[in-house]
Amino acid sequence: MKFSINWAQHYSNIDLKTWSSDDVVSMIGSQLGAVEEVIKWGPRYDGIVVSRIVSFKKHSNADTLSVCLIDDGGVTKDVKRNEDGFVQVVCGASNVAEDLVVAWIPPGATVPSSVDTDPYVLEAREIRGEVSNGMLASPKELNISEEHEGILEINPDAVGKENTKPGTSFKKLYGLDDLVIDCENKMFTHRPDCFGILGITRELAGINGQQFESPDWYNSPVDLPVVSDLEITSKNEIMDAVPRFMVQVIQDVTVQASSVGVQAALTRVGSRPVNNIVDLSNFYMHLTAQPTHAFDYDKVKTLCSGEVTIFPRMAQKGETLELLNGLTINLSEKDIVIATDKQPIALAGIMGGSQTEVDDTTKSIILECATFDMYTIRRSSMRHGLFTDAVTRFNKGQSPRQNPAILARLVQNITEFAGGSVGDSYDSYEGKDLLYWDPVMCDIDFINSRLGSELTAEQVKGLLVNVEFKVDFDQGQLKISAPFWRRDIELPEDIVEEVGRLYGFDKLPVALPTRVASPTSVNPLMKFKSSIRTMLSQAGATEVLSYSFVSGTLLSSSGQDPNDAYKLSNALSPALEYYRISLTPSLLSKVHQNIRAGHDKFAIFEIGKTHIRSNGVTGENVPNELDMLSLVYVMSDKLTDKSTGATYYEAKHYLDYISSKFNISLTYVPVSSAEGHQIHGPFNQNRSSLIIDAKSGDAIGVIGEYTFTTRKKLKLPEHVAGFEINIAALLKIAGPETSYVAKSRYPHIKQDMTISTNGSSNYSEVVKNVLQAMNELGDSAGYIFDIQPLDIYQKEPESPKQITLRADISHPERTLTTQEVGEFIASVINEVDKKEV
Amino acid sequence: MSTSTISIEQAKDALKAEFETLEIKKQILRSKTLESLMANLKILPNEEKAEYGRDINALKGEIVSWVNDAESEDQELGPIDVTAPFDINTPENKRPALLSTKLGSKHPIMIELEYIVDIFSRMGFEAVESRQIDDDYHMFESLNFPEGHPARDDYDTFMTTEGLIAPAHTSTMQNRVLRQYKDNLTNGLPIAVVIPDRVFRNEDVDVTHEHTFHQFEGVYIDKDVNVGNLIATLKAFMSEYFGQEIKAKLQPFYFPFTEPSFEFAIERPESLRKGDTEADMWLELLGCGMIHPNVLKAADIDPTVYTGFAWGCGIERLVMMKNSIEDIRHFQSGKLDFLRQFS
Repeated sequence: MKFSINWAQHYSNIDLKTWSSDDVVSMIGSQLGAVEEVIKWGPRYDGIVVSRIVSFKKHSNADTLSVCLIDDGGVTKDVKRNEDGFVQVVCGASNVAEDLVVAWIPPGATVPSSVDTDPYVLEAREIRGEVSNGMLASPKELNISEEHEGILEINPDAVGKENTKPGTSFKKLYGLDDLVIDCENKMFTHRPDCFGILGITRELAGINGQQFESPDWYNSPVDLPVVSDLEITSKNEIMDAVPRFMVQVIQDVTVQASSVGVQAALTRVGSRPVNNIVDLSNFYMHLTAQPTHAFDYDKVKTLCSGEVTIFPRMAQKGETLELLNGLTINLSEKDIVIATDKQPIALAGIMGGSQTEVDDTTKSIILECATFDMYTIRRSSMRHGLFTDAVTRFNKGQSPRQNPAILARLVQNITEFAGGSVGDSYDSYEGKDLLYWDPVMCDIDFINSRLGSELTAEQVKGLLVNVEFKVDFDQGQLKISAPFWRRDIELPEDIVEEVGRLYGFDKLPVALPTRVASPTSVNPLMKFKSSIRTMLSQAGATEVLSYSFVSGTLLSSSGQDPNDAYKLSNALSPALEYYRISLTPSLLSKVHQNIRAGHDKFAIFEIGKTHIRSNGVTGENVPNELDMLSLVYVMSDKLTDKSTGATYYEAKHYLDYISSKFNISLTYVPVSSAEGHQIHGPFNQNRSSLIIDAKSGDAIGVIGEYTFTTRKKLKLPEHVAGFEINIAALLKIAGPETSYVAKSRYPHIKQDMTISTNGSSNYSEVVKNVLQAMNELGDSAGYIFDIQPLDIYQKEPESPKQITLRADISHPERTLTTQEVGEFIASVINEVDKKEV
Repeated sequence: MSTSTISIEQAKDALKAEFETLEIKKQILRSKTLESLMANLKILPNEEKAEYGRDINALKGEIVSWVNDAESEDQELGPIDVTAPFDINTPENKRPALLSTKLGSKHPIMIELEYIVDIFSRMGFEAVESRQIDDDYHMFESLNFPEGHPARDDYDTFMTTEGLIAPAHTSTMQNRVLRQYKDNLTNGLPIAVVIPDRVFRNEDVDVTHEHTFHQFEGVYIDKDVNVGNLIATLKAFMSEYFGQEIKAKLQPFYFPFTEPSFEFAIERPESLRKGDTEADMWLELLGCGMIHPNVLKAADIDPTVYTGFAWGCGIERLVMMKNSIEDIRHFQSGKLDFLRQFS
């Protein structure tokens, strides 16, 4: 939303000129909305001087060029003049004439239209043998309109004789010495009135503690006698979608370019000048936030079966409409259109149709001024991808009660500037055009308690009356009526916002809430994640965050079924099309790039949330969300100093590290082929296992190396392994981070034992048997013992495995003898061997 | 044509049988059966050639995939004892070991997030994580965004094919948190919660924009909570966070779920200032406001008795400012060279 100070000044009873640009920017910024950009128009015209063409002659070397002598009143410094004090400028325009008042851009000044792109600073230079000191500028070069056929002709009657004296600074004309403040649109989502310069001006007055008075024509419609008998028929059968529909015929207008002043004003707020009719319609849109549209009466007539009839209706299936921008759209039954009895002629509230466009041939016009349902307009705009100034305003919900005033004022201005006589009209509104909406009752204490302020009722009234609210006192309460253009005041909370804003939130007393001294609970899962994060980073692993969205290719490369992943319907790209099923594929996708960056050996981990469609929904009917931890351990193929065993054990070492820290007892069971869980997708069944909570027997994760296919597709080295585990499930079985066991004060004896197994038992079964035998045989003797793995040896693939364990044995009450322990260990081996056979 | 179709089917069966017997699976591609199919192609009438050719190509493609599958089975590393602590015959100095502590690092976003949660915890706020997939009710409706409301346009949300939403703000948890902690109010305690997590916006990625980033939401509800309390709470947090007294200001803003709504700006700490214009001085940090009565009502909290405030703040920008990080895309790049600079 572009706000022009010069426009505002013109329609304000307040003297805005007493405020500096910084004042205005800070008032808007602190008490109205965010400022996106401040555009200072004045400096763009620095150095440009109103001048008069004294004489001109044909250029001797170029047919289309004239050599002009101009009078700049002698104000420009450092320029070559003739003996009369005039300056020579070469000009290619065909409208060069003696005594023409023009805008001269002297050497050293910048062409205004080039400022934003590639600033072009003029100099004195020779054009085919004649020196040109700067240039005479066209409206386009002056950033006034698109007109570039000839140079700007300054009309002394339009701008006042005193402003056309040679030597006058050009920026004094046409309100060019302006400040335009671009306010962020988002700010005014609930304030349709602030999409008009009038609305923002009113707010500025209120913020500054001054009472604003809207122009008379805005508060009550100008009365316009009907003088033409040109007729129109209309109706409105969709009151919900179109709360108000008004049309007005004007006969015999003269369509031509707008005055330079109007063109320049529109250009400054971002509208391209078209012709006097369209420009005036746009002008009032920028001023009041009410869009209007003009149709060519005679073109409409040719599209009617008989009398001229236009009215709003919902579009019908199969209908099409060619728009002003040249595109033809297929209409939906959810679009509102303006139609004749035969066909649609405009997409209501969004854009007019090309068949009824007002152009140079137009004689009579139909003006439409209406209010549309904001939601319907928004959906149509999204459906067709059309985002116009009208949409920006209509989709905020304009007040239907401002339609008559704006239509009447527009008609009055058109007849004044484009001629024509007022004809037939139509208004669908059945409500009353009251100046105020129904009052909101509000207690002064309510306002003060919400703001923490100590305002009096009189102060509140003053603040609100400044922006044209009506405030009465009724049985100790404030009875507050919002003016007809406001649509956002329904609740006492809305009054609180209004009062706080106009008073100034920065003036409110600031105090921390009082607090009860009870301790704050800590979120156990977040604390656990934090501990794991610390633990793993201390163990040399690097925490990674990767996108929650992955490609279908990554899923299938990881042995996962994309059909089991939630799919985005509006993904940014195929690379981000699916919610990830597990974290592992994301981590694996980061491996190759890091190896290429020169990292030979690393561990990366991520703590994150995953979603699997087959995993169902919560009681709230939203997908179940899993809190997962994934780690991947990598050794590149280039690394020579590898551990010799399977990389599986490196990953397991990390998991064992976590589980020992938290006193978690985990067991590992090979993944069976029947399992087929999505999380297992990337894992090689030969070399992976389920992670089982030893107490409950529940599987809480998977650990292992990855399949050949996954490694090949993700360019992974051979030595890569990792795990993925449900971190919430892990928390459930986690003990405290530290645990203490009293140690015996008598010496420990360490002794090794080697169990030979023919391959049918795995390591954990052997250990289980050993511990069982130690318990059975040693319990009565009161031994305390612990065992640690020492070696696992196998001569050849088919030969028996030798598992060597080191037992640490002590007794709480006495010193053990080596012989005693030796006998105990021998009996344990004997017992275990029996089972192994 | 039908005869040749059958012969392709028959050929496929024959090839499959042959494939099973082969020692070196690749040899199937040079099978006589395939060769004879190719020979057939030459003698077919021209009009049948195209379709027959396509069928042969399809069959060939299938055979190649048999070979690939078999090869990956072949090259799949063999079984190991998954219960063991290390591999058989591994010498002691080659056994699994944790990497050097020097190499480890926590993610900078997570470091910051833990720090922020810690400050709020000391201020009496509990922490709850957000969700990463949610529904329209929590993302919009319970937050006073009616269907079709233009404010929805500002959120550029990702949707799933089922119509679920990738939350564009952590406010998606407000209704749940209000319900979860509602009993606090009847027990004379405030609802004071921070909600950190990742959020998603459907926007193009560049040095300052990411489609996936992190926010922390805060809600505070009690009797007699006012705008001054909101300002004081956020100022107290910012001062603790930056380790110095922070000047702050409120700029009016619009959000459907707060009334009034603000943008909260702080005076830049000197270390984070680049110039001395008005724009360099102030840093718009977060959106906030007094919780809209409709949002309280949606959680069955009586807005005539209780009032509260809420805010939502992005984390990436804070981390980028603090560490002079030039490109937001580094965060989720997974680059060790970036990540290991943080600890």
